[in-house]
Amino acid sequence: MSTAFAHPVTVWIVGATLGLLLLAAAVIGLLSVTGRASPLLRRELWLRLGSWCILLPLMLGPVLLGRVWTIGAVTLLGLACLREYDRATGLFREYLIVGVVVLGILLVNFAALDHWYGFFTALWPLTVGVIAIASLPLDRPAGYVQRTALGIFAFMLFGAGLAHLGYMANDPGYRPIVLLLLTAVALNDVAAFTFGKLIGGRKLLPATSPNKTLSGALGALVTTSVVVALLAGAIFAGTPMGHPALLLLFGAIVSIAGQCGDLMLSSIKRDLGIKDMGVLLPGHGGVLDRFNSLLLVAPAAFHFIGYYVGFGLAGPTRLITGG
Amino acid sequence: MDFRLRPARDLGLAPGERLRSHAREAGLGSLALRSLWRGGVGAYLRLAHRLEVTGQQNLPAGPPFILVANHCSHLDTLALGSILHGEAGRRAHALAAGDVFFRTGATALFAAYAVNALPVWRKRTKAGEIAMLRERLVEDRLVYILFPEGTRSRDGAMAPFQPGIGTLVAGLPVPVVPCRLEGCHAAWPADRRLPRPGKIRLTIGRPLDFAGLPNARAGWVEAASACEAAVRALG
Repeated sequence: MSTAFAHPVTVWIVGATLGLLLLAAAVIGLLSVTGRASPLLRRELWLRLGSWCILLPLMLGPVLLGRVWTIGAVTLLGLACLREYDRATGLFREYLIVGVVVLGILLVNFAALDHWYGFFTALWPLTVGVIAIASLPLDRPAGYVQRTALGIFAFMLFGAGLAHLGYMANDPGYRPIVLLLLTAVALNDVAAFTFGKLIGGRKLLPATSPNKTLSGALGALVTTSVVVALLAGAIFAGTPMGHPALLLLFGAIVSIAGQCGDLMLSSIKRDLGIKDMGVLLPGHGGVLDRFNSLLLVAPAAFHFIGYYVGFGLAGPTRLITGG
Repeated sequence: MDFRLRPARDLGLAPGERLRSHAREAGLGSLALRSLWRGGVGAYLRLAHRLEVTGQQNLPAGPPFILVANHCSHLDTLALGSILHGEAGRRAHALAAGDVFFRTGATALFAAYAVNALPVWRKRTKAGEIAMLRERLVEDRLVYILFPEGTRSRDGAMAPFQPGIGTLVAGLPVPVVPCRLEGCHAAWPADRRLPRPGKIRLTIGRPLDFAGLPNARAGWVEAASACEAAVRALG
């Protein structure tokens, strides 16, 4: 327990998250008691809060518990995202391709668990190569580009990309960084929604996502950049990343990558003509509807921090395979 | 070249609803679970029932097609399912009584994931459900396993076929393969809780074609009669 909460930023983030949940419960409770919200809205709000009460322990718990738990949770998240994506796009009918993508997700997370960066990076071109040849023996060229492209896209997002989040756990000081990313993308969503509602104005990309506004996007960019820069300042003080300009740039990258992940999923859904990717999380939709922002943030943040500071560079490597 | 993105037919259904839906489509996870089940059932049928199959050459080269047979035991579905391999095995759905196999969550889970069954609600099947089953048979290239008597025979004698089989296939270019099962009643009659070992014989007949029949009452009855006669002739 003392290790889990060793860094003050970990304590701040977990404390603030719990505080926000309690505050939300109090506000919704007040709305219910005073009858100021319609029964439908109240039900929707309680449903969302209920989902968060289950989701947050599932998200923050593994990070606090340790390295293996974190990588395990990222693996399960990748597989859950793949399931929703393959059913929405129709890729699930291509058993061979899906099988290769599942194998790729398991292997890339194994490489993270093994702390073997060479294998971790090698798996991107290798898995893409196997996806490209997996369906050749079927002798069914019709639809080849579609199934191969969908498979590669899936591996990039839910395997190679997302696994960066788990790989961070190889650094002894990973907890505040991963918690910061998990909560920053949620803050980013909330800020975009709030600024959009408060200011309104021009739509961002109306054909892709009719509810998003330019003011919301800019408001989220400023809010997330500042909050992330402040917290990251406490994490990276005394390292080459400790410069205010770099910290703000890091915050901006998290915000922009998060919003782009959201817009990417909106584009997928618009193209398919569906509203939600799944029904697993009441009030949210599917797992992907909740975690879309994280997909691009994980590799972007990893390589930014990696460039200036690195992850687990002093620790032992190839913990399982040896060598 | 255009992408043809076809979301799962069951997208957006809640888990319980999906289990009982005719739109349910299996993914890799379901396929893996079913392969385990099929492997176990195949070994059981060989060891405990010395399953003997004749006429395997009469099975169409690939889906879609329908297997129809006489029905007196739960072993019937298992025996018919065990003769399908490769693509036909992956795409096979047993049409099972909804009030028996899909009544509770646990039985529905088993029926959906192990047997890959689709529910038939006896005497209250809606026209839309039949239309969906016909559409999926052709578009998704499925195999249906069906017992047109409508229920298990209590004395082992074959009852007349209901016209339901006709509603699925009349006017469609989908072969119907008549099959005859012997020994299932002795091994696991309807009044026994568990099966007992005993020889089972399965004879597969030549496929029947109902593409020329009208998709109306007269066509349904004619298809059902032809199926019944073909199954009786194998006895």
